[in-house]
Amino acid sequence: MKIVAGMDAGSRKIKAVLYDVHKNEMIAQASCDQGLKQSELARGLLHDLLDSKDLTAADLHYTVATGYGRNAISEANATRTEITCHALGVRALMPEVRTIIDIGGQDSKLIRVDENGKMTDFVMNDRCAAGTGRFLEVVADRLQLPLHAIGSIRSENVAPVTISSMCVVFAETEIVSLMAAGTPAADIAAGVRYAIASRIATMAGRSLDAPIALTGGVALLEGMDHTLAEVLETHVNVPPHPRFTGALGAALLAAKAI
Amino acid sequence: MSTLLQKLTLDDWNEQYATLHQQGMKEPFYGGPLCRHVLDGDTRLEKLEFDPSPAALRLWNLLLTEEQRLHTARRQGRHIVGTMKDLGTIPVLAHAFPNILPFYPDGAWWTPCIMEMNDALLHVADRLGIDETFCPVRAMLAAFVTQKHFPIPDLLICSAGAVCDDFSAIVQRLHDMGHPVHWWDIPHRREPAPNEVSVQLPGGCIAPQTQITFVASELKRVADALSELAGTPLDLNQLTATIQRINKVRKRLLSLREKVFLASHSPLPALELHIAEMLSIHFCSDLTETEAVLDDLLAEVDRRINTQQGFTSTDAIRVFWVNPVADLRLMNRLENLGGRLCGTDFMFTHAIDPIPESPPPLEALAQSALADPMVGPTQDRARRILRDARTFAAEALVICRIPGASHCATEGPQLADTIRAELGIPCIEIEVPPIEDALDGSIRTKLEALLETARSNRRDR
Repeated sequence: MKIVAGMDAGSRKIKAVLYDVHKNEMIAQASCDQGLKQSELARGLLHDLLDSKDLTAADLHYTVATGYGRNAISEANATRTEITCHALGVRALMPEVRTIIDIGGQDSKLIRVDENGKMTDFVMNDRCAAGTGRFLEVVADRLQLPLHAIGSIRSENVAPVTISSMCVVFAETEIVSLMAAGTPAADIAAGVRYAIASRIATMAGRSLDAPIALTGGVALLEGMDHTLAEVLETHVNVPPHPRFTGALGAALLAAKAI
Repeated sequence: MSTLLQKLTLDDWNEQYATLHQQGMKEPFYGGPLCRHVLDGDTRLEKLEFDPSPAALRLWNLLLTEEQRLHTARRQGRHIVGTMKDLGTIPVLAHAFPNILPFYPDGAWWTPCIMEMNDALLHVADRLGIDETFCPVRAMLAAFVTQKHFPIPDLLICSAGAVCDDFSAIVQRLHDMGHPVHWWDIPHRREPAPNEVSVQLPGGCIAPQTQITFVASELKRVADALSELAGTPLDLNQLTATIQRINKVRKRLLSLREKVFLASHSPLPALELHIAEMLSIHFCSDLTETEAVLDDLLAEVDRRINTQQGFTSTDAIRVFWVNPVADLRLMNRLENLGGRLCGTDFMFTHAIDPIPESPPPLEALAQSALADPMVGPTQDRARRILRDARTFAAEALVICRIPGASHCATEGPQLADTIRAELGIPCIEIEVPPIEDALDGSIRTKLEALLETARSNRRDR
């Protein structure tokens, strides 16, 4: 058994994947909350993950780190950007995909890949949290709902509100006003999902090549793929383990390196 | 056998300076160790990495002593003229008057970066109502108020019309504060109508003759204002001679760029090339020294090319860079991540193209002014970038946005779309504030991902 690891140190979560090079498969994955001591958190996560498979650090042949905190992971033999890693991870799971939308905790990315799975271009959001998971956290906090409920909360005749502000801070003010006016939480939550989808569509700028895959923590939000599909006017797929595609891509790079 | 040269930190430069001195390095009157500028408040220098040559030291010292030269000129009784917005035209006209020294107050836009905001210029501008929604040239407005930088000019000359609206607002504020401003109008460059007499401008764009005639008449008004200040009429022969002299500077810069962009190893770091290109606009208020600095740089670059020395490996990704960086550290970052410059468009390419020498001098200057990428349609700029990116075999393109610079709002995506469609290379837009430290992770990721994408494309080819 030849094991490598991929670690994705995102803004909200650190994700780790163990990959069996001989079997060409992901054998374990886990995540933990991001924090001030990134390096220690990552080390602990990797240790626990290895432990869960009765492995030790000595069994690990190579580790590639990605994500905004990639340079803080001392266990890594190499680092690559999360853009490259998401492209590789999605390609392994859904080779037919031509566009990847990754919505993470603090940024969102749109990655274009060609028919060989090679990344040809990408766009990232710029100094604005309006199209990211952070927006959802702010809204969930305001609505006093758990984060996942922003996706699952439903009402019979849901009428998504329009969030017109381009900035999360101002959008929060709008939401406070809507709450004061008695707008149902389901309508606000739906409005927020549309606002995120609109930001992504704006970032895309021009037509997107299908098939499209949605990855990142926000992909786990119920209904987010449907909202994006509606706004982008095309089907949006969510790969298995969408939060781990970056770490998987890093593990694939690690496998290639040995 | 090629040699990879190492850049120096500021501390390294202290040692290098002592060594060069022992070896008999000769310096101009503004020479001295780089570290002395930190004592003047230029603390960003401590975070940069520099070319280790005496030629580069001379370049930096010329840049960082401009204010001293301006104050000296004032004491010597020369008229100081602030030339604004046109980026490269009015300084030519002003240099034709022997007792006028033009400078470029907009240059203060780099001061918040170089001084790491310790100068508080942007805060002063905020209090004057020119807040962060405006281009960082608003630092210039504050420098007029604090009077801790350049001497207050005797006259400001500013273009209006098809140029930056932020700039107009800032200069209107200066006018309200009592600073004399001579405005001149530059129209939006348009395609000539069928059967309309047209002229090819430097750089390849076309403009109707009527627009050139109009701009020449505006420049005549500027010349009259300068004459009044100087107490002497404009000598057209002197202006012709000045144009010829400035063309020599521009040709040196064109040559420097071409050598750097085409060399297998970059023989001049991106940072120093960026600074050197800025000389084309206003010559750091010293035309003679600008010529000498460029000669030294060219000689150093030639020497490095001949001995196969450079700061980047042959494997470095060739990046075309659009627009200047508010934080100079980005130029180091590009190379440290495995990229190199293979082309630039810092918004003043018209100030690097030689001014035509056949037409009457005011008409020639009008042609140069109308070639400004900012006064024409974005597609004209895109065409030029495309041409240069193709010539220099760019593998990736960076469009650098300046926070608050409103003319950039829609231009970036148009440029990127053109380059993507025509060259099929990856493009990114990044917004760089004067101090990028807090955004370093995000900017670094974008640059790194761009280089990874370009490298992946290279493998496929």
